[in-house]
Amino acid sequence: METTDLERRARRAYELGRLSQALRVVPWVLLPAAVALLCGRPAGLVFALCTAALAVSMALLIRGGMAGRSVGPGLAAGWAALLPPLLLRTAGHACFGDSCMALGLPVCAAAGALSGILIGRVVLLRGGGAASWIGAGVLAGLTGAMGCSIGGTFGILGMIAGVVAGSAPVLVLARPGR
Amino acid sequence: MDRAELTRLLVRLKDGDREAFRPAFSILWPLLRAFTERYAGPGDAEDAAQAALIAVFARAAEFDETRDGAAWALGIAAWECRTLRRRRQRRREEPATSGARKCAASDEMQGAPERASWSDSPEDTALSRELRRCVQQVLGELRPLDVETLLAFGTKSGATYRKRFSRAVARFRMAWRARHGND
Repeated sequence: METTDLERRARRAYELGRLSQALRVVPWVLLPAAVALLCGRPAGLVFALCTAALAVSMALLIRGGMAGRSVGPGLAAGWAALLPPLLLRTAGHACFGDSCMALGLPVCAAAGALSGILIGRVVLLRGGGAASWIGAGVLAGLTGAMGCSIGGTFGILGMIAGVVAGSAPVLVLARPGR
Repeated sequence: MDRAELTRLLVRLKDGDREAFRPAFSILWPLLRAFTERYAGPGDAEDAAQAALIAVFARAAEFDETRDGAAWALGIAAWECRTLRRRRQRRREEPATSGARKCAASDEMQGAPERASWSDSPEDTALSRELRRCVQQVLGELRPLDVETLLAFGTKSGATYRKRFSRAVARFRMAWRARHGND
């Protein structure tokens, strides 16, 4: 067998090995989706967000490097954005109309900000760059949206704004030269 | 071979750095070839080395950076050698027990009992023993004169002996087919 052919096979084996390793993230993406479903979130929306989160997680893990290392913090921070709105709903808050804007939206934004601060801190501690920050932010956003959909589109947008607002200052403060 | 360099390359591969693939390949291939030649023997070395190389790259994503890269890769190679040997053993056992070895008769006539020394491996010894047992069973069904003629192969000559030998071989083949089939 030619060495080039062997090298090609070895490369394919390497990529398949990375794919197989990336599949281990599946339960960690399914878990928040299951929690959201148990708390009464619409199945179609949760399925769509879960599929997107799974695709992003696996792509980042297969890619590796800083992007790959952002998956864990992103999913963990996603819990911070996911749980508060779900707890609000479980506590009996009926999120519609003005009452939703008065309580649901701020909770989603605060949860997003908490999630963003967590992402900022972890990215700083690990010395990650923009790829790490974006990867973790997208995953936290997708996971958090499963819960913040309780406040509709504004709830999700508020949460995303919170993630950006919570993580950006931490990153800016830690820029080299400061 | 620089063991520390190999470990560094495997750590980079684990992290997803594709640039580390080629240097890791060029260190691993000769290392695994040399190891499998010693461990699996020259006949199986190439196959075992290829299987080991593929397995090392397939598992690069789960490499533990606290371990020595060369020791880790050689551990995988040793496992692949054992797997290959077991697979070969299974493949050899099947035709031997179903009597599908066409060459058995002629092998026996050329001194199959000594063939246990083909290789020192236990599977070859077991295969040789099984083959001898099959040949002895078939010989037991032949007439004593035919057995005597076959066992005298190489010690006698002449036209009469050659004719007797040819007839004895034909009867041996017939008996072998009746017992073990044509395959």
